[in-house]
Amino acid sequence: MVVRANNTWVIWLTFALALLLSVSSMPKFMELGRPLWLALFLTYWVLALPHRVGMTTAWCIGLLADVLNGSLLGQNALILTLITFLVLTLHQRLRMFPMWQQSTVLLVVFGLAQLVQLWLNALTGSRPPTLAFVLPALVSALLWPWVCTLLRGLHRRLGVN
Amino acid sequence: MRLLVFTVLSAALMVVDARFTWLQPLRAQLGLIVEPIYWAGSLPVRAWEGATQELSTRSELTAENEQLKAEQLIMQRRLQKLAALTEQNVRLRELLNSAALVDDEVLATELIGIDPNPFTHRILIDKGEKDGVVLGQPVLDARGLMGQVVEVMPYTSRVLLLTDTTHSIPVQVNRNGLRAIASGTGNPERLELRHVADTADIKEGDLLVSSGMGQRFPAGYPVATVSEVIHDSGQPFAIVRAVPTASLNRSRYMLLVFTDPRSAEQRATESAQAQEALDREILQQALPAQPAVPANPPEAAQ
Repeated sequence: MVVRANNTWVIWLTFALALLLSVSSMPKFMELGRPLWLALFLTYWVLALPHRVGMTTAWCIGLLADVLNGSLLGQNALILTLITFLVLTLHQRLRMFPMWQQSTVLLVVFGLAQLVQLWLNALTGSRPPTLAFVLPALVSALLWPWVCTLLRGLHRRLGVN
Repeated sequence: MRLLVFTVLSAALMVVDARFTWLQPLRAQLGLIVEPIYWAGSLPVRAWEGATQELSTRSELTAENEQLKAEQLIMQRRLQKLAALTEQNVRLRELLNSAALVDDEVLATELIGIDPNPFTHRILIDKGEKDGVVLGQPVLDARGLMGQVVEVMPYTSRVLLLTDTTHSIPVQVNRNGLRAIASGTGNPERLELRHVADTADIKEGDLLVSSGMGQRFPAGYPVATVSEVIHDSGQPFAIVRAVPTASLNRSRYMLLVFTDPRSAEQRATESAQAQEALDREILQQALPAQPAVPANPPEAAQ
């Protein structure tokens, strides 16, 4: 049987899901540690299909996230591009790593991204309390194995390439 | 290389978005996608609320009904007093030759989303440009001011709440008219009054109402109640904390206020003209009625 080529709509569907998750209502105490869904999903697709999902995709999705969150246009775009860049640079090594090591590297990457986010937020005047900004990065890194397994299953089953 | 291009592009976009208004139309158009996503995002919550409503027992409903009836009774009593007071107020203002207080027009709106960033206090409402919402429009709930519109999209708009750290509102102590500025603290239950002199006449329990200075919020709406006043001799100003009267993190239904864009003088002349027209009308109704008395006795009896 010929493998159905190019199921790119799946990628966009998962990004839509990530956008939805990033604004869905949550209990107050969990808001502080809201996972960076977009960054997680993006990282998976960049690792799996670097020839299809790259910085351009990241930037466009970032713009959508900006509109959705009401942040400055370009803020999330910049951060997602940065994450994609880091993942692309590390991508050869990252794919060889066991899951827990991937999580650790991603913790650093997401932490850096959150730091940039904090700086950009400070520019617009809303300064969150210190160190709470690492929490989403931590939660995201812990979620990475599950997200990765889930998306890999989807990826394999639907033959996205 | 590509990173550089995108970084520069993002930085440029951010600067343009922060400093200029060219990007507003683009933003507004992109805003069309916001509502369906927020709607889908709140589906679980809505489903849960719907389910609890379906399953609420008869006794709960009766209790709620009774409470609402009691509340309505209290409100009606206040309303009776209000009618007399409004009348008196208008008459006194006429004597003082100042602008009559006009009732503001309002539009009911519903909350559809909360900003995912826990450090900002912003919400999304289901009325937008198509409903006549404008930038800077005040938003109320049943108990007081909630905030102002900061971004208008075609069918939705974003509201910055009073308690956001970047928000301040000019207020007045209802008891004695003392003016101050109430700033948000990032805590949904607290506002802080900035630069209040240590000797100022302000105490716990004072109601703060919007003063209308700054021409953004209409005057006279309740904003907060003073919860504590701390006099610290080491500080140049008194520390005054207040609790917003509106339930900022609980209200689901809100009102958008359309304030009168006319100046005070215009309003005065227009209300005077309207009053004159009304007088003339009454006079005209009264005058022809007299010759008609023999012809139409039942009407005259009325």
